[in-house]
Amino acid sequence: MPLALERPAMQRLLPRLFLALLLALLALSAWQWRAGPPLQASMLALLPQGAGDELVQQAEQRMQEPLNRELLILVGHAEREQAIALVQRLGQQWAESARFEQVQWNLQADLAALRQQLRASRLALMPRADRQLLIEQPDSFIQQRAAQLFDTFAGFSLLPIEQDWLGLGARAQQALNPHQRVQTDLASGALLVEDQGLTWALLRARIQGDSFDLQAPPAIAAQVASARTLVTAEGGQLLAASGLLYAAAGQAKASREISWIGGTAILGILLLLLLSYRRLRVLVSLLPIGVALLAGCAACVLVFGQINALTLVLGASLIGVAADYPQHYLSKSWGGVRDQGNWHSWPVLAATLPGLSLSLGTNLIGYLALGFTPFPVLTQIAVFSAAGLIAAYLCAVCLLPAWLDGLQLQPAPGLLRLSEKLLAARARLLARTGNWKLLAVLLLFCAAGLLQLQTQNDLRQWLGAEPQLLDDAQRIAELTGQQPTSQFFLVRAADEQQLLQRQAALSVQLDGAVADGTLLGYRALSQLVAPASQLQPLREALQDLPQHWQPLLAAGIPEAALNTELAQLLNSDQPRLEQALAGPLGEAWRPLWLGHSAAGVAGIVSLQGLNDTAALHGIASGLDGVQLVDRLGELNSLFSATQLSAAQLKLLSCAAIVLLLCLPFGFGGALRIVCLPLLAALTALACLGWLGQPLTLFSLFGLLLISAIGVDYAILMRENIGGQAVSLLGTLLAGLTSWLSFGLLLLSQTPAIANFGLAISLGLFFCFLLSPWATPTRNTTAANEARSPL
Amino acid sequence: MSRWTRTARRALWASAATLALFGASLAQAFDLTQLSAQLAKPALVRGPFIQEKHLRSLPQPLTSRGQFVLSREHGLLWQLRSPLQQDYRIDDRGIARRTAQGWQQQPGQDVAAQQSRLFLAVLKGDHAGLAEDFELQLSGDAEAWQLDLTPRSRLLQQIFNVIHIQGGALVERIELAETQGDSTLLRLPQSQPGTALSEAERHAFGP
Repeated sequence: MPLALERPAMQRLLPRLFLALLLALLALSAWQWRAGPPLQASMLALLPQGAGDELVQQAEQRMQEPLNRELLILVGHAEREQAIALVQRLGQQWAESARFEQVQWNLQADLAALRQQLRASRLALMPRADRQLLIEQPDSFIQQRAAQLFDTFAGFSLLPIEQDWLGLGARAQQALNPHQRVQTDLASGALLVEDQGLTWALLRARIQGDSFDLQAPPAIAAQVASARTLVTAEGGQLLAASGLLYAAAGQAKASREISWIGGTAILGILLLLLLSYRRLRVLVSLLPIGVALLAGCAACVLVFGQINALTLVLGASLIGVAADYPQHYLSKSWGGVRDQGNWHSWPVLAATLPGLSLSLGTNLIGYLALGFTPFPVLTQIAVFSAAGLIAAYLCAVCLLPAWLDGLQLQPAPGLLRLSEKLLAARARLLARTGNWKLLAVLLLFCAAGLLQLQTQNDLRQWLGAEPQLLDDAQRIAELTGQQPTSQFFLVRAADEQQLLQRQAALSVQLDGAVADGTLLGYRALSQLVAPASQLQPLREALQDLPQHWQPLLAAGIPEAALNTELAQLLNSDQPRLEQALAGPLGEAWRPLWLGHSAAGVAGIVSLQGLNDTAALHGIASGLDGVQLVDRLGELNSLFSATQLSAAQLKLLSCAAIVLLLCLPFGFGGALRIVCLPLLAALTALACLGWLGQPLTLFSLFGLLLISAIGVDYAILMRENIGGQAVSLLGTLLAGLTSWLSFGLLLLSQTPAIANFGLAISLGLFFCFLLSPWATPTRNTTAANEARSPL
Repeated sequence: MSRWTRTARRALWASAATLALFGASLAQAFDLTQLSAQLAKPALVRGPFIQEKHLRSLPQPLTSRGQFVLSREHGLLWQLRSPLQQDYRIDDRGIARRTAQGWQQQPGQDVAAQQSRLFLAVLKGDHAGLAEDFELQLSGDAEAWQLDLTPRSRLLQQIFNVIHIQGGALVERIELAETQGDSTLLRLPQSQPGTALSEAERHAFGP
């Protein structure tokens, strides 16, 4: 191959081939982007699929849907009328917008339908405590009803008294509205919460499509922002909560960071190249960066159908690696300074090609190792990077030499002197301490650092949510009393009755949790339709009720009326679950019903305001068909488990790199080249400990990459073409370009990305410091200088 | 007055009783502005009340009787005496029932609290606000007037047809006609302005 590169025919053919490939790539990308950018904004989409079966995933999807599509707004004002007027204005404005499928700011209840369902299913709707009272203390049950009939302040009952003499409907009605904090304004129908002198009006909106539509989150965020301006101008306050707003914030942050991290990296690299080589045409060596990003995007869209915003941010760091390849041969121009020789692109490429190809091989191994983790984001990054690296390599090998042909580089001599000084300083240090003493000090530093290292794995790092969004969501939860939790119970059964029984059994346990304060509330299908097994004792108790209803007779209620109602209650069939769900009272329960499948039926029990997750695990264990689904907990433990497998992957990738490098350098040389980046990674790890920074999954993946990129520098030093000072300078430039981009990730506002950036920056720094040890001993150095192409 | 705005929200009848308290003075050309202008005067009213629930299916109404004490400063004490004994207290803390263990605060009375807010608009002389929700019709003069409230909103229309409030020197009668055919009549036949709370009443309002 090196010989072939000397031939003019080859020097003409390679650029043409590459340009044809590039054209094909451009065409592919244009086709992929034909209907707008195939970008995905949701960070959550990058989390691994849950371990559960299809039903669990269906249930998770059901529970997450409101998160992705619903928007909850509270408009607060000191004047009640103003709060209502403002929410009405917003509601009408949004209802006209095509963005929203449904906007609800007031209760448009059809009371006739509500009354009918309430009357027909009074028995099945009675809460457990009321059933118990009727069965165990019928006297007190009747006395309470009698008192209620004369109570001036009993409030409003949906059912007229003569349809509900015994008050079962009134009790069921109370249970239907467990959030006492949200009240309905009778005049306007607005949903209000009063708190500390402010009246808050509730608005709920559901968007068209979902949050995976890239345009939706920013548009919704803009709409919320303008609503906030409007409300604030009228002297009110606005609170908003929605998964969409997190997505919008994440998207805005990602695009901001892509442009400034990517932009700064490119600008920095540009300056570095100009200052180093002092020739404008050298800037064509930036071309591999563009080609790499393009190929990475195209490959991702080809494999996954879409590319996630997070992949783009992390993938932007590929700029640093892609810019390294031309450095392999450009940096050899300093050899020319010393030898007064000329630098010619094709011959230099021929000399450096083996090292360049080895670099590509080791980089690929490092990135591809990422692909074997269960994290979709890392798989995407692996595909993005592998495709990008290959494209950058091809560009650097096939096209750039042709475009750089005949260029006279004017490398800054100061840089070479700096490199020589650094090497001289290292030599002086080694002369005083020797290799082993230095290594011992380093290992001591590492050991002490590792002892201080703390691991931390939390999904919140991943999201890095905006504090204002979190504050708003928390305020809304406090005000409305609705604190949805991500944990829920999935209940399976053979048929509907068994499902209701199992949910009822679970409810007994949950009532205990509510009583001792670990849980605020829950919603179960058995609240809407009590299982037949619980209706039976209730009917028996009703049959005995005439012995106890004297107080009602005393109040003037005719016995015939009571008897008629009793007969009606005893003989009426209670509705089936699907019937009850279809009625207006069933609305809040509808998402909980997962329907029939081959294995039977399934339903969810959702939870509110959970204070102690651990307590839930005990609850599920004793009950048949009940499963606690705790996605957050599952993910956090998956994060920890993956750390271990990441460490194993790192060792495996090192073994693979050693095998690859055995071919040119022999086992000893290969081992040395691989051990240096490992030592650098270890030192970086120790630094995290010294800095008090936690080791997260992401910093670990950063170090995994270091083992690949660091090998690149070691190879450059080992090949030692043009002498040690020239090679070190090449390493310095390559390191600086990588560092510019990775180091800037350190400044990302997403903790996961910043953590990644910090680990990789530290790793790169130590890789550079340790790289001179890759150079073979003196006598071989001389031989390599003889191999200089210049 | 501001203490009242909070208190009166609690229940329809409480607010109606407020009318009884404040609708004292006589005026010639009687309109809502004047009615509300008169509402801020006396500090204490006492009297008996009779509540009748007229149900379509019963020949006799469900009747209950008792005494009320309305204090501008403290709130409303509502003492049901027959057919059973039950005391209620309404103040800025909400509605409370007297039990063997002492006063027990009732959980938020959703709709009952809402109903009274409408009367609050009358008390504040907020005709515009009230007219948004109700058709208002005031007839008669200051000695014998009747205020009719007909709901405009769909939700309210599904609950009651009309509310009649009648009074002379004080409010004497409040009648709620429900859509389902039942009606509730509250009579305050012998309300008297008072001077000071008794020891027991003061104790009932508590600290």
